[in-house]
Amino acid sequence: MRIPILKLGNYLLISIQMELDDKTAIQFQEDLLQRIHETGATGVVVDLTSVDIIDSFIAKVLGEVVSMSDLMGAKVVLTGIQPAVAITLIDLGIHLQNVQTALDLEQGLMKLHQELGE
Amino acid sequence: MDENLKQIALDNRESIVETWKNEVEKLKSQNYTSTISDELFESTNREFANVIFESINDGGSTKSVELFSEKIINLGWPLSYITDGLQVFRRATIDVILGTTKKVDTDSLSLILTSVDQWVEPIIRQLVNEYSGSWENIVSLQRVALQELSAPLIPVVEGITVMPLIGTIDTERAKLIMENLLDGVIRHNSEVVLIDITGVPVVDTMVAHHIIQAAEAVRLVGAICILSGIRPEIAQTIVNLGIDLEKFPTKNTLEKGFTSALEMTNRKLTDLDTKQHFDIEQLIKSIKGV
Repeated sequence: MRIPILKLGNYLLISIQMELDDKTAIQFQEDLLQRIHETGATGVVVDLTSVDIIDSFIAKVLGEVVSMSDLMGAKVVLTGIQPAVAITLIDLGIHLQNVQTALDLEQGLMKLHQELGE
Repeated sequence: MDENLKQIALDNRESIVETWKNEVEKLKSQNYTSTISDELFESTNREFANVIFESINDGGSTKSVELFSEKIINLGWPLSYITDGLQVFRRATIDVILGTTKKVDTDSLSLILTSVDQWVEPIIRQLVNEYSGSWENIVSLQRVALQELSAPLIPVVEGITVMPLIGTIDTERAKLIMENLLDGVIRHNSEVVLIDITGVPVVDTMVAHHIIQAAEAVRLVGAICILSGIRPEIAQTIVNLGIDLEKFPTKNTLEKGFTSALEMTNRKLTDLDTKQHFDIEQLIKSIKGV
């Protein structure tokens, strides 16, 4: 199953509402990069509010997606990471150092707006 | 035979109590209860003796022992008063019973010892249980109280929350802090969280590690974490230990931390009434004018 990627002006919105397995994550990576290429989007918000589990592989993929999108000129913000997920990631030693985060979708969009200065 | 012994003990109640009181009086002078007034000591002793005899008479009645222990725990008397008192009682009773029996052989001696033990043991057991039960109760109450106090989160202004930390941080508490912090960030929808460590006496590598982890987790959830209340000695330890706190902003006081939190959320504090505001130069000018 694929994760839907929605376009909103210059931005792409992704709300992940399923349990991410390795295959879905890789598929998502390819799809997103493809969409950025097609649409020339400058900002991406990935909303993780309904994600309860993130393992080290998914975290790595997400981190890479952010770096890749950055290379293609699209800023990525991860939003709505749950406390439990955050604790697990920190315990695993995954700090997602170069990733922007925000509390919810709204603030994520605001953040993109500020950073891109549009 | 056992009933006989009980009868002897009950018949000689007065003399047993007398001997017992003298012994307990001696114990009083050398330790714990020396601060207790003689009157209170006397009345409690009498009650204790009554409780013991009642218990012997009824073959281990527990109700009166329970009441007595409750009372004595509330008064804050030490456990040693009870254990010493019962040991003394055991000795006194054996002495008195031996005094009344004419012929003592090994069998009857052992019988006497066993039955006296049987009277005293249940009382000791129950009293000690009551005591340790009350201690455990207090410890668990305090643990709950401590937990309630350990990681408070205060929403100050919309989008800004403060977590003042006081006291030593151990691993268990650090975990609680992190959970409270993250839940609070989500619940209050805060953009900036201030962790104030003014009241944390020592920041070692472990504490710093926990704080860094909490701050990182806060960043992942989508807020910013500011560490405030860093005292000079804490700054020294942190640098000497080679702990890297570069990743998130630090301030020396909560006030400064709060100001920069306001800046981060595009706000600032302003004085309401500007007319009242006097400049020292203006003041000097006005004096000169006179």
